[in-house]
Amino acid sequence: MMTMTTVITGIAFVAVHLVLAYFVFRYSGRQKAEHVEDNPRLERTLLLITSLLIAIMLVPGLFAYSQVIAKPSDRLVVEVLGEQWRWNYRFPGEDGIFGRTDVRLITSDNVFGIDPADPTGADDIVIVGGPLYLPVNQPVLLQFRSKDVLHNFWVPEFRVKIDAVPGTVTESWFTPTREGTYQAACAEYCGVAHYVMTSEIHVVDAAEFEQWLAALPTVAQAQE
Amino acid sequence: MATPAAAAHAAHEHHEPQSFWRKYVFSLDHKVIGIQYTVTALAVGAIGLVLSWLMRLQLGFPGAVGAVNPTNYYQFMTYHGLIMVVYLQTAILLGGFGNYLIPLMIGARDMAYPTLNMLSYWTYLLSVILLLAGYFVPGGPSGGSWVLYPPQSITAGTPGSGLGITLLLASIAVFVVSATMGGLNYITTVLQMRTRGMTLMRMPLTVWGVFISAVVALLSFPPLFVAGVMLLFDHLLGTSFFIPTVNVLGTVLPHEGGSPLLFQHLFWFFGHPEVYVVILPAMGIISDVMATHARKPIFGYKAMIVSMAAIGVISFIVWAHHMFASGMNPFFGYIFAATTLVVAIPSAMKTYNWLLTLWKGSIRFTTPMLFTIGFVSTFVIGGLTGLFLGNVAVDLPLHDTYFVVGHFHLVMGVSAILAMFAGIYHWFPKVTGRMMNETLGKIHFFVTFLGAYLVFFPMFLMGFQGIPRRYFSFDLVAFAPSGLDAVNAMVTVAALAVGAAQLVFVANIVWSAVRGREADANPWQANTLEWQTPQIRPGHGNWGPKLPEVYRWPYDYSVPGAARDFIPQNEPEVAVVSPAAGPEPEGAGR
Amino acid sequence: MTEHQQAAVAGGRRSAWREIVADFSRDVRTYPFGWSKAMMWIFILSDLFVFGGFLAAYAGARMAATQPWPDRGHVFSLTIGGAEVPLLLIAIMTFILISSSGTVALSVAASHERNRSKTAALLGLTLVLGACFLGMQAYEWTHLIHEGFLPSSNPAGASQFGATFFMITGFHGTHVVIGLIFLARVLLRVLRGYYDRIGTWEQVEVAGLYWHFVDLVWVFIFAFIYLI
Repeated sequence: MMTMTTVITGIAFVAVHLVLAYFVFRYSGRQKAEHVEDNPRLERTLLLITSLLIAIMLVPGLFAYSQVIAKPSDRLVVEVLGEQWRWNYRFPGEDGIFGRTDVRLITSDNVFGIDPADPTGADDIVIVGGPLYLPVNQPVLLQFRSKDVLHNFWVPEFRVKIDAVPGTVTESWFTPTREGTYQAACAEYCGVAHYVMTSEIHVVDAAEFEQWLAALPTVAQAQE
Repeated sequence: MATPAAAAHAAHEHHEPQSFWRKYVFSLDHKVIGIQYTVTALAVGAIGLVLSWLMRLQLGFPGAVGAVNPTNYYQFMTYHGLIMVVYLQTAILLGGFGNYLIPLMIGARDMAYPTLNMLSYWTYLLSVILLLAGYFVPGGPSGGSWVLYPPQSITAGTPGSGLGITLLLASIAVFVVSATMGGLNYITTVLQMRTRGMTLMRMPLTVWGVFISAVVALLSFPPLFVAGVMLLFDHLLGTSFFIPTVNVLGTVLPHEGGSPLLFQHLFWFFGHPEVYVVILPAMGIISDVMATHARKPIFGYKAMIVSMAAIGVISFIVWAHHMFASGMNPFFGYIFAATTLVVAIPSAMKTYNWLLTLWKGSIRFTTPMLFTIGFVSTFVIGGLTGLFLGNVAVDLPLHDTYFVVGHFHLVMGVSAILAMFAGIYHWFPKVTGRMMNETLGKIHFFVTFLGAYLVFFPMFLMGFQGIPRRYFSFDLVAFAPSGLDAVNAMVTVAALAVGAAQLVFVANIVWSAVRGREADANPWQANTLEWQTPQIRPGHGNWGPKLPEVYRWPYDYSVPGAARDFIPQNEPEVAVVSPAAGPEPEGAGR
Repeated sequence: MTEHQQAAVAGGRRSAWREIVADFSRDVRTYPFGWSKAMMWIFILSDLFVFGGFLAAYAGARMAATQPWPDRGHVFSLTIGGAEVPLLLIAIMTFILISSSGTVALSVAASHERNRSKTAALLGLTLVLGACFLGMQAYEWTHLIHEGFLPSSNPAGASQFGATFFMITGFHGTHVVIGLIFLARVLLRVLRGYYDRIGTWEQVEVAGLYWHFVDLVWVFIFAFIYLI
């Protein structure tokens, strides 16, 4: 999509400028101008060509978008909490269910505001500030929350981008296909330290990921 | 004609204001108000320009200017954006050019309601004062970025989230009131005050541009006013329109249940049409300047009007393309991508028509013409890059990166500013009776135009690399390519050069206004009515005892068989033997 | 083929459009009345977008609210003789405001006949009705504030209810105040014979237009905030 748009607009840019340059040099004020008011046929032709080119870019773009927003079925769910100015992550633990949260319960020891009364929260795994490890070739569904202002989780290589909006949960998903170290940066202005809000992401093989996750303490363990 | 307007005008002619204050300060004359608007807007614009230097210095040479820190960087960013978009461009293109040109171009003695017009300027000045007052209150001005997204803009993590943001929102509300008063005048004047023979389809495109832009402004500023008032309530009265339960820097705020997305919808319902509020008068100015200096009718006059109107209408149904990554229902992506790409069609038509106006023309390379050609170039690249950002799947990776910065600066920043310069160089002889210096003008053009490309073209490449915008420093960005620092330094140098070129412009204005070559009545040999006034610098009431009468459209350039290569709109005798010419208004001269 | 021939081929519908365009774009004046009336219509269009924005924001805030929306029948009720009558006050207010639209329309009709005393009397009646509306609104506000309704919170449910209520009715009330000042000015000028001197009574109609608009907007506010 990106390539096609770049090619079409690139050609249009060069063509228009060549025509512009040619006209500017060819018709510089030596001769008398011709009185031409309009040419409906030419205008219609140009209109048609432009509309076609726009359609060529738009239609595949919309199909590509439908794939972008189609949720993967077999997915690893990770919750991402944006706060001024760091990224925090949470895995649902053994039971696969995130414990209930409330912004009013947030403290420095409980950055997600997990409700201690909810038993499903006890085995959740919380990572404050990163880094986050993800298994390669495994579709990942990120659920975003924010405790204060708008943030945006942006890893250029993953190509997806969505705001973390306080008061709601937003989602995005992707499948990392190459192992390595990446970085998430904040792409929605979030206050005076917006530019330091980065976090490391490691894409590793499944075994290494399991090992990393197993070594992390659950919420219950961390409280002991 | 026993209307109040006629009565008022009759009264005016006998009581031309004599005192200095009534004549130059609290003036009701549209020309004085237009100049007041222009000078004020340029002065504020100079502040906006200096702020951009300070930001560029930090980005190009981090730490070199020790006084720039993240707090004031984000304050500069906020004020630069708001000043340039609202207080410079909107004010100068509507308030400056609109006020000065509309009555002159349609053959009226003044605006419909001169008192309201004067109030519009003084309210604008008040809004500017409120804006700048932010720098003199405890906590400093707001650093909430020009889009002012809550909760960020009114919470503690953002600079100036106390009095600063209060003043900023008040200033915006006052500006909306001012723009409404101005817009009412522009629209009413165009509809009701045209001179005999000046049908709508004989108006110069500048008037069309300002007219459509004023309509768009009158319908799009209300949501901004609403959003501003609601944000002010959230800030001062503790309401929860836009703020859910949040914990900001360790404090739970007393809000619950608000929706941050609601603000974004209201803001962009204003914000996108605002782009066209700025660019439509620019398009009109470019069309008139180009036709005059290429000695050729504007190609496809009707298509130009239809495409401007189409742009105006479509601008109201594209706003959510600014919100593709905002977390709104993803289904909206389809609709708004489609409507957004449709805008490209009328915009492309206008570009073709400008090119075809040059085709077989007789181009005079005057300074205004150079700026016009420059406009076509920057408008094309700005418009084409818009096709990336409107197409939702392509937008997502580019959203909030430097690609966006490059795009909107070229399409509505640089393009509209180039049109503004074209207009200033073109109409300067009308305003002052003196020509501007061509050599200085050409230096100004080439540095500005080439500099603009050097500044903004690299930003597209930075955007492809994913470099996010609104970053004080890229030190912590691991995915920044190694050449980024060098590119940023180059961009900064180019930006400073462009800034220096504006000093040449200011020097040229000052010098030419005092010492410039004296202008003829019609130095560019233009057809439009403003050049046909009895005095070179039109006096009070513009037209002397009798209003001009219009017999033709404004683009009778290089008519075959005519004695001269232009026929002013108020020239009655049909100089050409034209079979279509008849007594009815539509036929004559077209 | 020239444009004219094409138009002939395209037939009647297109030429009807052309006539409309020609009619609208004729010289000197698009609309056959003074500029102030045209300006008022354009202002009303713009102001409609302000109220539209407020009401759209109301809908948005109400949908986003996390607490239950208060029961308006209970909130806006008057207790008369121990019985709670829902929406009584607001029904009277709405009736008064709509009646004032009627009196201002009659006043405009009288102004067309250049009947000074009748125009003035009806304008005066409109002023009285408008002032009654404002007085009752002031009573409603104080009543609600006494019961603990504030922009930031209220005892009946979602805080956005109080916020939107005070914001929107307050903004409308400001319009009523401006309308009263406008009507009073026009009334004075009618009494002094100013419009006979300048030869046009159009200002009465312009003031009437504004007043109708303020009333029309009230109907929507009434429906959205009090009923739905």
